[in-house]
Amino acid sequence: MTTPLSKAADRFSETAIDDEIVVMSLENGDFFSLTGTARSIWLLIDGTRDRAALGRDVAAQFGCSEQDIAGDLDAFLDQLNGAGLLVGA
Amino acid sequence: MAATRSPADSMALMARETRWHYGPVPRELGGQPIPADSRLFAQGQFVLRTLSGYGYHYVPGEGITIEQPEAGDPDEEALWLNGSVYAAAACLNGFFPLHASAIADQGQVVAFTGATGAGKSTLVAALGQRGWPMFCDDTLLLDLADPARIMALPGHKRLKLTGEALAMLGIAAEQPVGADTGKSYAAPPAGDWCEPLPLTVLVFLEDGEEPDWLEVAGAARFARLADDHYTRELYLEAQRPDRASQFGLRSRLAGQIAMARLVRPRSAAGFAASLDLAEARLQEMGREFQP
Repeated sequence: MTTPLSKAADRFSETAIDDEIVVMSLENGDFFSLTGTARSIWLLIDGTRDRAALGRDVAAQFGCSEQDIAGDLDAFLDQLNGAGLLVGA
Repeated sequence: MAATRSPADSMALMARETRWHYGPVPRELGGQPIPADSRLFAQGQFVLRTLSGYGYHYVPGEGITIEQPEAGDPDEEALWLNGSVYAAAACLNGFFPLHASAIADQGQVVAFTGATGAGKSTLVAALGQRGWPMFCDDTLLLDLADPARIMALPGHKRLKLTGEALAMLGIAAEQPVGADTGKSYAAPPAGDWCEPLPLTVLVFLEDGEEPDWLEVAGAARFARLADDHYTRELYLEAQRPDRASQFGLRSRLAGQIAMARLVRPRSAAGFAASLDLAEARLQEMGREFQP
Protein backbone atom coordinates (compact mmCIF):
# COMPACT_ATOMS: atom_id res chain seq x y z
CA MET A 1 0.00 0.00 0.00
CA THR A 2 1.23 3.50 -0.79
CA THR A 3 1.33 6.36 1.68
CA PRO A 4 -2.03 7.71 2.80
CA LEU A 5 -2.67 11.25 1.62
CA SER A 6 -3.37 14.00 4.08
CA LYS A 7 -3.76 17.75 3.96
CA ALA A 8 -0.97 20.12 4.95
CA ALA A 9 -3.18 21.66 7.62
CA ASP A 10 -0.85 24.53 8.43
CA ARG A 11 -0.73 25.69 4.81
CA PHE A 12 -4.35 26.53 4.05
CA SER A 13 -7.65 27.85 5.37
CA GLU A 14 -10.98 26.53 4.17
CA THR A 15 -14.64 27.37 4.44
CA ALA A 16 -17.89 25.87 3.17
CA ILE A 17 -20.36 28.22 1.47
CA ASP A 18 -23.59 26.59 0.34
CA ASP A 19 -22.43 23.38 -1.38
CA GLU A 20 -18.97 24.68 -2.30
CA ILE A 21 -15.70 24.67 -0.41
CA VAL A 22 -13.26 27.55 -0.73
CA VAL A 23 -9.63 26.73 0.08
CA MET A 24 -6.95 29.39 0.30
CA SER A 25 -3.21 28.79 0.28
CA LEU A 26 -1.73 30.69 3.22
CA GLU A 27 1.57 30.89 1.34
CA ASN A 28 0.42 32.92 -1.64
CA GLY A 29 -3.26 33.70 -1.07
CA ASP A 30 -4.44 31.69 -4.09
CA PHE A 31 -8.01 30.40 -3.86
CA PHE A 32 -9.57 27.15 -4.99
CA SER A 33 -13.32 26.77 -5.27
CA LEU A 34 -14.21 23.11 -4.97
CA THR A 35 -17.42 21.60 -6.27
CA GLY A 36 -18.52 18.15 -7.49
CA THR A 37 -15.80 15.52 -7.57
CA ALA A 38 -13.10 17.95 -6.42
CA ARG A 39 -15.15 18.72 -3.31
CA SER A 40 -15.65 14.99 -2.64
CA ILE A 41 -11.96 14.21 -3.11
CA TRP A 42 -10.99 17.06 -0.79
CA LEU A 43 -13.33 15.79 1.91
CA LEU A 44 -11.99 12.25 1.56
CA ILE A 45 -8.35 13.29 1.99
CA ASP A 46 -8.18 12.60 5.71
CA GLY A 47 -4.93 10.72 6.21
CA THR A 48 -6.52 7.26 5.97
CA ARG A 49 -6.65 6.78 2.18
CA ASP A 50 -3.94 6.48 -0.44
CA ARG A 51 -4.46 7.35 -4.10
CA ALA A 52 -6.07 4.00 -4.91
CA ALA A 53 -8.48 4.12 -1.98
CA LEU A 54 -9.47 7.66 -2.89
CA GLY A 55 -10.25 6.55 -6.43
CA ARG A 56 -12.31 3.65 -5.18
CA ASP A 57 -14.34 5.72 -2.71
CA VAL A 58 -14.94 8.66 -5.05
CA ALA A 59 -16.06 6.28 -7.79
CA ALA A 60 -18.46 4.63 -5.35
CA GLN A 61 -19.89 8.02 -4.35
CA PHE A 62 -20.56 9.01 -7.94
CA GLY A 63 -21.64 5.57 -9.15
CA CYS A 64 -18.96 5.28 -11.82
CA SER A 65 -15.86 3.21 -12.43
CA GLU A 66 -12.45 4.09 -10.97
CA GLN A 67 -11.21 4.41 -14.55
CA ASP A 68 -13.82 7.06 -15.26
CA ILE A 69 -12.57 9.39 -12.59
CA ALA A 70 -8.86 8.51 -12.69
CA GLY A 71 -7.94 11.46 -14.92
CA ASP A 72 -9.82 14.02 -12.82
CA LEU A 73 -8.43 12.55 -9.61
CA ASP A 74 -4.82 12.65 -10.78
CA ALA A 75 -5.19 16.18 -12.14
CA PHE A 76 -6.72 17.43 -8.92
CA LEU A 77 -4.14 15.74 -6.72
CA ASP A 78 -1.37 17.22 -8.90
CA GLN A 79 -2.95 20.66 -8.49
CA LEU A 80 -3.16 20.31 -4.70
CA ASN A 81 0.37 18.94 -4.55
CA GLY A 82 1.65 21.79 -6.69
CA ALA A 83 0.05 24.25 -4.29
CA GLY A 84 1.75 22.53 -1.38
CA LEU A 85 -1.50 21.47 0.21
CA LEU A 86 -0.86 17.71 0.30
CA VAL A 87 1.28 15.51 2.51
CA GLY A 88 2.19 12.01 1.34
CA ALA A 89 1.79 12.64 -2.40
CA MET B 1 -19.98 31.93 21.99
CA ALA B 2 -21.67 35.09 23.20
CA ALA B 3 -21.15 38.56 21.77
CA THR B 4 -18.29 40.45 23.38
CA ARG B 5 -20.30 43.68 23.36
CA SER B 6 -23.91 44.52 22.68
CA PRO B 7 -25.00 46.65 19.69
CA ALA B 8 -25.95 49.38 22.15
CA ASP B 9 -22.43 49.26 23.61
CA SER B 10 -21.05 49.54 20.07
CA MET B 11 -23.17 52.61 19.35
CA ALA B 12 -22.00 54.23 22.59
CA LEU B 13 -18.39 53.32 21.82
CA MET B 14 -18.47 54.98 18.40
CA ALA B 15 -20.23 58.06 19.77
CA ARG B 16 -17.54 58.37 22.43
CA GLU B 17 -14.59 57.66 20.16
CA THR B 18 -15.62 60.11 17.43
CA ARG B 19 -15.95 63.17 19.67
CA TRP B 20 -13.71 65.85 18.20
CA HIS B 21 -12.01 69.13 19.01
CA TYR B 22 -9.63 71.52 17.29
CA GLY B 23 -5.90 71.39 18.01
CA PRO B 24 -2.49 70.62 16.51
CA VAL B 25 -2.04 67.36 14.59
CA PRO B 26 1.39 65.65 14.55
CA ARG B 27 3.49 65.62 11.36
CA GLU B 28 4.78 62.15 12.11
CA LEU B 29 3.83 59.00 14.00
CA GLY B 30 6.32 56.46 15.27
CA GLY B 31 9.10 58.18 13.35
CA GLN B 32 7.20 58.03 10.06
CA PRO B 33 6.52 61.39 8.37
CA ILE B 34 2.98 62.14 7.19
CA PRO B 35 3.12 64.50 4.21
CA ALA B 36 0.08 66.30 2.77
CA ASP B 37 -2.40 64.05 0.93
CA SER B 38 -1.51 60.94 2.92
CA ARG B 39 -2.67 58.92 5.90
CA LEU B 40 -0.98 56.65 8.37
CA PHE B 41 -1.96 54.06 10.95
CA ALA B 42 0.80 53.65 13.52
CA GLN B 43 1.06 53.03 17.25
CA GLY B 44 -2.65 52.24 17.33
CA GLN B 45 -3.46 55.76 16.11
CA PHE B 46 -4.51 57.35 12.81
CA VAL B 47 -3.40 60.57 11.14
CA LEU B 48 -4.75 62.02 7.90
CA ARG B 49 -3.38 65.07 6.14
CA THR B 50 -5.27 66.50 3.18
CA LEU B 51 -3.93 68.40 0.22
CA SER B 52 -5.90 71.44 1.33
CA GLY B 53 -4.13 71.54 4.69
CA TYR B 54 -6.59 69.80 6.99
CA GLY B 55 -5.14 67.43 9.57
CA TYR B 56 -6.99 64.77 11.59
CA HIS B 57 -5.58 62.71 14.43
CA TYR B 58 -7.49 59.88 16.11
CA VAL B 59 -6.25 58.43 19.39
CA PRO B 60 -8.32 55.63 20.97
CA GLY B 61 -9.83 56.82 24.22
CA GLU B 62 -9.13 60.46 23.38
CA GLY B 63 -11.20 61.06 20.23
CA ILE B 64 -10.37 63.09 17.14
CA THR B 65 -8.27 66.26 16.87
CA ILE B 66 -8.84 68.47 13.81
CA GLU B 67 -6.26 70.97 12.63
CA GLN B 68 -7.68 73.59 10.28
CA PRO B 69 -5.76 75.34 7.49
CA GLU B 70 -5.81 79.12 7.40
CA ALA B 71 -8.59 79.28 4.83
CA GLY B 72 -10.55 76.19 5.76
CA ASP B 73 -13.73 75.02 4.09
CA PRO B 74 -16.23 73.76 6.71
CA ASP B 75 -17.90 71.56 4.10
CA GLU B 76 -14.64 69.83 3.24
CA GLU B 77 -13.81 69.52 6.93
CA ALA B 78 -17.08 67.69 7.59
CA LEU B 79 -16.65 65.39 4.59
CA TRP B 80 -13.24 64.14 5.72
CA LEU B 81 -14.39 63.85 9.34
CA ASN B 82 -17.50 61.85 8.50
CA GLY B 83 -15.75 59.83 5.79
CA SER B 84 -12.22 58.49 6.08
CA VAL B 85 -11.60 59.65 9.65
CA TYR B 86 -14.79 58.15 11.03
CA ALA B 87 -14.12 54.90 9.14
CA ALA B 88 -10.52 54.78 10.40
CA ALA B 89 -11.65 55.22 14.01
CA ALA B 90 -14.20 52.47 13.46
CA CYS B 91 -11.55 50.14 12.01
CA LEU B 92 -9.22 50.72 14.95
CA ASN B 93 -12.07 49.69 17.23
CA GLY B 94 -12.66 46.46 15.34
CA PHE B 95 -15.62 47.51 13.18
CA PHE B 96 -15.66 46.68 9.48
CA PRO B 97 -16.84 49.47 7.16
CA LEU B 98 -18.50 48.57 3.88
CA HIS B 99 -18.82 51.06 1.01
CA ALA B 100 -22.58 50.79 0.87
CA SER B 101 -25.87 52.61 1.34
CA ALA B 102 -28.66 50.73 3.05
CA ILE B 103 -32.30 50.58 4.04
CA ALA B 104 -34.03 49.09 7.06
CA ASP B 105 -36.48 46.37 6.09
CA GLN B 106 -38.62 44.62 8.70
CA GLY B 107 -35.96 44.27 11.36
CA GLN B 108 -33.01 43.73 9.06
CA VAL B 109 -30.68 45.70 6.82
CA VAL B 110 -30.50 45.42 3.04
CA ALA B 111 -27.37 47.15 1.74
CA PHE B 112 -26.44 48.29 -1.76
CA THR B 113 -22.78 48.48 -2.77
CA GLY B 114 -20.97 49.60 -5.88
CA ALA B 115 -18.27 51.96 -7.07
CA THR B 116 -18.61 55.71 -6.53
CA GLY B 117 -21.35 56.91 -8.88
CA ALA B 118 -23.02 53.50 -9.10
CA GLY B 119 -26.28 54.92 -7.72
CA LYS B 120 -26.29 53.63 -4.14
CA SER B 121 -27.67 56.82 -2.59
CA THR B 122 -30.16 57.33 -5.43
CA LEU B 123 -31.59 53.85 -5.00
CA VAL B 124 -31.88 54.22 -1.23
CA ALA B 125 -33.64 57.58 -1.70
CA ALA B 126 -36.00 56.07 -4.27
CA LEU B 127 -36.80 53.13 -1.99
CA GLY B 128 -37.47 55.73 0.70
CA GLN B 129 -40.17 57.15 -1.54
CA ARG B 130 -41.71 53.68 -1.48
CA GLY B 131 -41.64 53.51 2.31
CA TRP B 132 -38.26 52.03 3.34
CA PRO B 133 -36.36 54.10 5.94
CA MET B 134 -32.72 54.88 5.18
CA PHE B 135 -30.26 52.97 7.36
CA CYS B 136 -27.08 54.62 6.08
CA ASP B 137 -25.60 56.48 3.15
CA ASP B 138 -22.22 55.60 1.66
CA THR B 139 -20.61 53.87 4.66
CA LEU B 140 -22.14 50.89 6.45
CA LEU B 141 -20.44 49.99 9.70
CA LEU B 142 -20.49 46.29 10.58
CA ASP B 143 -20.13 45.06 14.14
CA LEU B 144 -18.66 41.56 14.23
CA ALA B 145 -18.81 41.12 18.01
CA ASP B 146 -21.65 38.57 17.88
CA PRO B 147 -20.48 35.38 16.12
CA ALA B 148 -24.07 34.40 15.38
CA ARG B 149 -24.96 37.44 13.26
CA ILE B 150 -23.47 40.47 11.62
CA MET B 151 -24.90 43.61 13.13
CA ALA B 152 -24.94 46.93 11.30
CA LEU B 153 -24.77 50.29 13.02
CA PRO B 154 -27.06 53.02 11.67
CA GLY B 155 -25.35 55.65 9.57
CA HIS B 156 -23.92 58.88 10.84
CA LYS B 157 -23.93 60.64 7.45
CA ARG B 158 -26.72 62.66 5.89
CA LEU B 159 -28.12 61.55 2.54
CA LYS B 160 -26.24 63.18 -0.35
CA LEU B 161 -27.62 63.24 -3.89
CA THR B 162 -26.48 64.66 -7.21
CA GLY B 163 -28.59 67.30 -8.96
CA GLU B 164 -29.51 64.69 -11.55
CA ALA B 165 -30.76 62.28 -8.88
CA LEU B 166 -32.73 65.01 -7.10
CA ALA B 167 -34.40 66.00 -10.37
CA MET B 168 -35.14 62.41 -11.38
CA LEU B 169 -36.72 61.60 -8.00
CA GLY B 170 -38.39 64.98 -7.47
CA ILE B 171 -36.71 65.39 -4.07
CA ALA B 172 -35.92 68.88 -2.76
CA ALA B 173 -32.31 69.78 -2.00
CA GLU B 174 -31.76 70.93 1.58
CA GLN B 175 -28.35 72.55 1.13
CA PRO B 176 -25.25 72.05 -1.03
CA VAL B 177 -22.70 69.57 0.30
CA GLY B 178 -19.98 71.90 -0.99
CA ALA B 179 -16.31 70.99 -1.41
CA ASP B 180 -16.85 70.72 -5.18
CA THR B 181 -18.84 67.50 -4.83
CA GLY B 182 -21.75 68.74 -6.94
CA LYS B 183 -24.11 67.09 -4.46
CA SER B 184 -26.74 68.38 -2.07
CA TYR B 185 -28.01 67.08 1.23
CA ALA B 186 -31.57 65.77 1.17
CA ALA B 187 -33.99 64.37 3.70
CA PRO B 188 -34.58 60.62 3.33
CA PRO B 189 -38.23 60.36 2.19
CA ALA B 190 -39.13 57.70 4.79
CA GLY B 191 -36.78 59.01 7.49
CA ASP B 192 -33.68 57.53 9.12
CA TRP B 193 -33.53 54.28 11.05
CA CYS B 194 -31.61 54.85 14.29
CA GLU B 195 -31.14 51.41 15.91
CA PRO B 196 -28.64 48.64 15.09
CA LEU B 197 -30.02 45.80 12.96
CA PRO B 198 -28.57 42.60 11.48
CA LEU B 199 -27.25 42.87 7.94
CA THR B 200 -28.86 40.05 5.97
CA VAL B 201 -28.63 41.04 2.30
CA LEU B 202 -25.90 42.76 0.28
CA VAL B 203 -26.76 43.82 -3.27
CA PHE B 204 -24.11 44.71 -5.85
CA LEU B 205 -25.17 47.46 -8.28
CA GLU B 206 -23.99 46.78 -11.82
CA ASP B 207 -24.44 48.26 -15.28
CA GLY B 208 -26.04 46.03 -17.90
CA GLU B 209 -28.40 46.10 -20.84
CA GLU B 210 -31.42 44.47 -19.20
CA PRO B 211 -32.62 45.08 -15.65
CA ASP B 212 -32.23 41.92 -13.59
CA TRP B 213 -31.93 40.72 -9.99
CA LEU B 214 -29.59 37.73 -9.78
CA GLU B 215 -28.83 35.80 -6.62
CA VAL B 216 -25.13 35.22 -5.86
CA ALA B 217 -24.49 31.75 -4.44
CA GLY B 218 -21.62 29.65 -3.12
CA ALA B 219 -18.01 30.67 -3.58
CA ALA B 220 -19.08 33.56 -5.81
CA ARG B 221 -20.20 35.32 -2.62
CA PHE B 222 -16.70 34.91 -1.27
CA ALA B 223 -15.16 36.25 -4.49
CA ARG B 224 -17.58 39.18 -4.58
CA LEU B 225 -16.25 40.51 -1.29
CA ALA B 226 -13.02 41.42 -3.03
CA ASP B 227 -15.07 44.06 -4.88
CA ASP B 228 -15.38 46.41 -1.95
CA HIS B 229 -13.60 49.68 -2.53
CA TYR B 230 -11.61 52.00 -0.29
CA THR B 231 -13.12 50.77 2.98
CA ARG B 232 -11.51 47.32 2.91
CA GLU B 233 -8.08 48.86 2.39
CA LEU B 234 -8.66 51.06 5.43
CA TYR B 235 -9.55 48.02 7.54
CA LEU B 236 -6.47 46.12 6.37
CA GLU B 237 -4.21 49.09 7.14
CA ALA B 238 -5.76 49.52 10.59
CA GLN B 239 -5.92 45.92 11.72
CA ARG B 240 -3.11 44.36 9.64
CA PRO B 241 -4.76 40.94 9.73
CA ASP B 242 -2.73 38.00 8.43
CA ARG B 243 -3.98 35.92 5.49
CA ALA B 244 -5.79 33.44 7.71
CA SER B 245 -7.63 36.24 9.55
CA GLN B 246 -8.60 37.93 6.28
CA PHE B 247 -9.86 34.62 4.99
CA GLY B 248 -11.84 34.08 8.19
CA LEU B 249 -13.48 37.50 7.90
CA ARG B 250 -14.44 37.02 4.25
CA SER B 251 -15.70 33.50 4.99
CA ARG B 252 -17.90 34.82 7.74
CA LEU B 253 -19.35 37.63 5.64
CA ALA B 254 -19.93 35.26 2.71
CA GLY B 255 -21.53 32.68 4.96
CA GLN B 256 -23.83 34.97 6.93
CA ILE B 257 -24.99 37.50 4.31
CA ALA B 258 -27.17 36.66 1.32
CA MET B 259 -26.01 38.42 -1.83
CA ALA B 260 -27.49 39.47 -5.14
CA ARG B 261 -26.62 41.54 -8.22
CA LEU B 262 -28.97 44.29 -9.35
CA VAL B 263 -28.18 44.89 -13.02
CA ARG B 264 -29.59 47.90 -14.86
CA PRO B 265 -28.93 50.21 -17.78
CA ARG B 266 -27.78 53.74 -16.94
CA SER B 267 -30.97 55.58 -17.93
CA ALA B 268 -34.04 56.95 -16.21
CA ALA B 269 -36.11 54.10 -17.65
CA GLY B 270 -33.48 51.55 -16.57
CA PHE B 271 -33.42 53.01 -13.10
CA ALA B 272 -37.21 52.88 -12.82
CA ALA B 273 -37.23 49.24 -13.94
CA SER B 274 -34.50 48.29 -11.49
CA LEU B 275 -36.35 50.09 -8.71
CA ASP B 276 -39.47 48.05 -9.45
CA LEU B 277 -37.36 44.90 -9.40
CA ALA B 278 -35.76 45.82 -6.10
CA GLU B 279 -39.12 46.64 -4.56
CA ALA B 280 -40.62 43.34 -5.72
CA ARG B 281 -37.66 41.36 -4.39
CA LEU B 282 -37.73 43.20 -1.07
CA GLN B 283 -41.42 42.43 -0.71
CA GLU B 284 -40.75 38.75 -1.47
CA MET B 285 -37.94 38.69 1.08
CA GLY B 286 -40.22 40.33 3.59
CA ARG B 287 -42.74 37.53 3.10
CA GLU B 288 -39.99 34.91 3.39
CA PHE B 289 -38.83 36.41 6.69
CA GLN B 290 -42.33 36.62 8.18
CA PRO B 291 -42.57 34.42 11.30
